[in-house]
Amino acid sequence: MSKKLINAIADMKEKEAVSIVEEMVKNGSSPMAILDAVREAMDIVGRRYEKGIYFLPELILAGEMMKKINGIIKPEMEAAAPKGGRGKILMGTIKGDIHNIGKDIVTFMLEAHGFEVLDLGVDVPFEKFTEAIRDFKPNVVGLSGFLTLAFDAMKETITAIKNAGLRDNVKIMIGGGQIDEKVKTYTAADAFGKDAMAAVTLAKNWIGG
Amino acid sequence: MKIIGEKINGTRQRVKSAISARNAVFLQDLARKQAEAGASWLDINAGTLPEREPEDMVWLVETVQEAVDIPLCLDSTNPAALEAGIRAAKLTPMINSISGEASRLEEILPLAAGAGCPVIALAMDHIQIPETCGERFAIVQKVVSATRSSGIPDQQIYIDPLVMALSTNIESVNVFIETLKAVRAEYPDIHFTAGLSNISFGLPARSYINRTFLTLAMVAGLDTAIMDPLDRELQAAILTTQLVLGRDDYCLNFTQAYRDGVFSDR
Repeated sequence: MSKKLINAIADMKEKEAVSIVEEMVKNGSSPMAILDAVREAMDIVGRRYEKGIYFLPELILAGEMMKKINGIIKPEMEAAAPKGGRGKILMGTIKGDIHNIGKDIVTFMLEAHGFEVLDLGVDVPFEKFTEAIRDFKPNVVGLSGFLTLAFDAMKETITAIKNAGLRDNVKIMIGGGQIDEKVKTYTAADAFGKDAMAAVTLAKNWIGG
Repeated sequence: MKIIGEKINGTRQRVKSAISARNAVFLQDLARKQAEAGASWLDINAGTLPEREPEDMVWLVETVQEAVDIPLCLDSTNPAALEAGIRAAKLTPMINSISGEASRLEEILPLAAGAGCPVIALAMDHIQIPETCGERFAIVQKVVSATRSSGIPDQQIYIDPLVMALSTNIESVNVFIETLKAVRAEYPDIHFTAGLSNISFGLPARSYINRTFLTLAMVAGLDTAIMDPLDRELQAAILTTQLVLGRDDYCLNFTQAYRDGVFSDR
């Protein structure tokens, strides 16, 4: 069953994947087994994307399938063990910028690699980041931004985190179309990444796993 | 159909390096090539940190107009950079861009009106691109009433109905064309533009998507595009579409382009 589920997700067969999950739940499969299969399938999808076999729409559809499946097994999960054995990551596109594609890809890849990710969405005000650091207690914060105005917004977001006394609790990585070493220094982030895999590597190095 | 050449954009890595190294030769070559390929304007985007942008914009304008004698299209949301760019420009530049966002209208419209600049206006306000034609049309109405009251004639306005990536929104072109037609019906004198390459972001075989979109948009009334003038396939698509739409008397532009080797023969 798991194998069939992995293949259905990896081969973009949404209806089939959903009905397999429903059947697995009915037959008493553990939600963890289903999640493991989803994770493995996501890994395959991610690798196909990196190799240029899959493209952005497949990535988005895979994300949709993951959301749907999560919805189906959520009731079963409530009682189950906490997920995210590899630590917690807070993601968001900074204030004044609404580019979500890059951020969504990074979020997707981080989840596929077993991190628990809270995505605050786009155009996220500074105080929303500081609040979420207090409540969600992430190990890593990822700031995304595509526009040049992102440089200042990232700098100000990181300053706000510092002023809230939370800077030492988190590692901060930034990314986006025009982010480089200079921008990293300007914003006082800990690191920048060129692509989604760089975010995974950074997170693994910081958190372990 | 007129082309706004997109290549001098500091968000592209090589251009960014050339701007920070003050590599005039590279950028002037880029300007010349685009002008020779038939661009009517050259988009100029410094893409640098805000405090450096006015200085970089002036240097870019001066550098590019040493090489070409076509007008520039100053691409920035930073009023200080735009003002400096307008002052440095020999020919009246186009402004890219205003939107329905109040602060941008207040800060940028007076600059454009004062210098008699054509203006690109995006069919969005604040920073969120509206999903539906209705919302976009409402923003365009707001923008046009602002441009009219600041004394800019409709002929100087270039509406960008906004094209999102098909990879993330499959209805993107339908909404674009619906918006364009609605604006055209209401404001017959207004022009249109679009950032062409965005449509195919995240997909393979992008050139096919760009060409087909351009053709459909031209049928609907798109009359300028922000694109790469050196893209021969796109140029061929424009020539062919104009021919098929009956906008090429005696097919002269088409046959001349053929003689110039624009179309690869099988």
